[in-house]
Amino acid sequence: MLQIEIDNLNKHYGGFHALKNIDIAIRNGSFVALVGPSGCGKSTLLRTLAGLEKTSSGDIRIAGTSVIAKPPRERDVAMVFQSYALYPHMDVEHNMNYSMRLKRRPRPEIAARTRAAAETLGLGGLLDRLPKALSGGQRQRVAMGRAIVRNPKVFLFDEPLSNLDAALRVHMRSEIRKLHERLEATSVYVTHDQVEAMTMADHIVVMRLGVVEQQGSPLDLYDKPANKFVAGFIGSPAMNFIPVVVGPDGQSLVIEQDLAQPLVLNRKLNPGSRLWAGLRPEHLSFAPVKGDLALNADVESVESTGSMTFVTAGVASQQLVVAHSGRPGVERGAVIRLHISLENIHLFDRETELAVSG
Amino acid sequence: MQGIIRTIRDGSGFDILLLLLALVYLVAFSAFPIIYNIIMSLQTVDMFTIASFDRPFVGLKNYYDILSQPLASTIFWNTVKFVVLSIVFQLSIGFGLALFFQQDFPGATWLRGLFLAGWIMPALVVGAIWKWLLAGDFGVINYILMSSGVTDERIFWLSDPDVALYAVIIANVWLGIPFNMLLLSVGLAGIPRDVYEAAELDGAGAFERFRSITLPLMRAQLGAVISLGVIFTLQQFDLIAALTQGGPANSSNVAQYWSWQLSFQTYEISLGSAVSVMMILFVIVVAAVYVRSTHHEHSY
Repeated sequence: MLQIEIDNLNKHYGGFHALKNIDIAIRNGSFVALVGPSGCGKSTLLRTLAGLEKTSSGDIRIAGTSVIAKPPRERDVAMVFQSYALYPHMDVEHNMNYSMRLKRRPRPEIAARTRAAAETLGLGGLLDRLPKALSGGQRQRVAMGRAIVRNPKVFLFDEPLSNLDAALRVHMRSEIRKLHERLEATSVYVTHDQVEAMTMADHIVVMRLGVVEQQGSPLDLYDKPANKFVAGFIGSPAMNFIPVVVGPDGQSLVIEQDLAQPLVLNRKLNPGSRLWAGLRPEHLSFAPVKGDLALNADVESVESTGSMTFVTAGVASQQLVVAHSGRPGVERGAVIRLHISLENIHLFDRETELAVSG
Repeated sequence: MQGIIRTIRDGSGFDILLLLLALVYLVAFSAFPIIYNIIMSLQTVDMFTIASFDRPFVGLKNYYDILSQPLASTIFWNTVKFVVLSIVFQLSIGFGLALFFQQDFPGATWLRGLFLAGWIMPALVVGAIWKWLLAGDFGVINYILMSSGVTDERIFWLSDPDVALYAVIIANVWLGIPFNMLLLSVGLAGIPRDVYEAAELDGAGAFERFRSITLPLMRAQLGAVISLGVIFTLQQFDLIAALTQGGPANSSNVAQYWSWQLSFQTYEISLGSAVSVMMILFVIVVAAVYVRSTHHEHSY
């Protein structure tokens, strides 16, 4: 069953076309991430879902009912803001039960639901604190508590973790995910951090300049990016792109400015076409693998995190980042053989940037 | 000498110098006049003893004399009306305008700036203009009221003892609105937009958002504006001097004007001092409320 349907949605700010023909269908109970670089329209889309922004054309349906003409409070959606937007003059308890007090729910019910939410989020001992007396992580929890006491049809998250430090962010990621599974609610989560999107969501919508570039499951986007933008955006460190030209046989790729090193693929391509060859850092290695192809490369820098080592290697005039699990034992300035697993090469048209199959 | 110059230039000497400048200013122009005023209110001061400091000490007799005058209760209630009505209308109209200009419409900032015009005009000039507007026989306000049918007869705003005080209050409200509006606008602009959006999503309508978000978050600013308004209203002298001089028959006379009349018109200086000391005590209480209210400022 579809919980949210966005049909051909458009949004203009004066002459600026912020959202262009957005079509998204979200199943009941799924966790959807809207990702993209800043200014791509992901937050605008979320705010349109909430009803905080007006739309220019198109339709939004929540649980089958069009909400396009409804004000935020009639849409039954709850939102967690990036700044948390807690009411600074209300203590934690009153921040959380404001919505129920507005609806004049019976007192015992308000108390019980507030207590339940506070316990779920580990806020039990903080109910009488004002937001200013809370840490960033605690404020974040209160903002979530305010959303979950309402038991809404849809949860909206607008970069909720971006103000937390790295360790807490990783922790809250799994907390939010667990909470989502327990509440079985539909969640839409905006982030510019593709790692957050990959680890939390079961459906990712990648946006750029107001357009949905691709949507699908995290691994689908990773394995089959529809275009160069998505390929470069999903995955960390980012995919390497090398400009190549297809040789006369339609099978070999010649790296531009390095005619000596052709890459031969078992694919049928248009001879002479100019492409980007996309190589994920983890598909490059220093040791031979089956069916690979080796290139000469100069090691330009080595960065190690302990468990992972990222090596920047120069091939002709190109730089490639290699992700190596463990310690490869290469040093800056060395000349090495770089092995590319051919079946993992992604190809994109140089003009349209769309994925090329063959 | 070298050492002194060095501490002033590099060390704590400069801090002390700045502190001393402020202290000397405060003592000379604030503390001394207040204390001198309090001393005068406990002495018999008239035209003959004004030049010497050695005057007969009479304790609280001046206070007793002034409070037992039949005029005292008239003045007291006039002052209460003047302050309360001025504040109520300045605040509600100023707050209303602040909320109005907080809405996003073309020219909002520009129009709001125009309100400053009223604020930078000297109260004496404002008084002179209002005197024309309120004039009984040729005033614009009577003309508007009569031609729109609100009243059939001329209202003698400044010479009718029943309305003179209200005429002064109307002019004072007009004078105080820009100050209220600007200060409250600053407070309103400080409330983050997403707090309102969160409230909207939580189900609060416009009125509910005003009642449960705007009002409590504006508490510090409202406290400040009310206390400063009380102080400014108790200082309002020029407008009364320009409009009614407290008349007719003291019907629009208020404490600050009375104190001036006693001291500088009838030269009952010790009585005038006593009135002003009582006003100072009241203002101290108001100032304490003001200082306390700034403690309620919220950080977002």
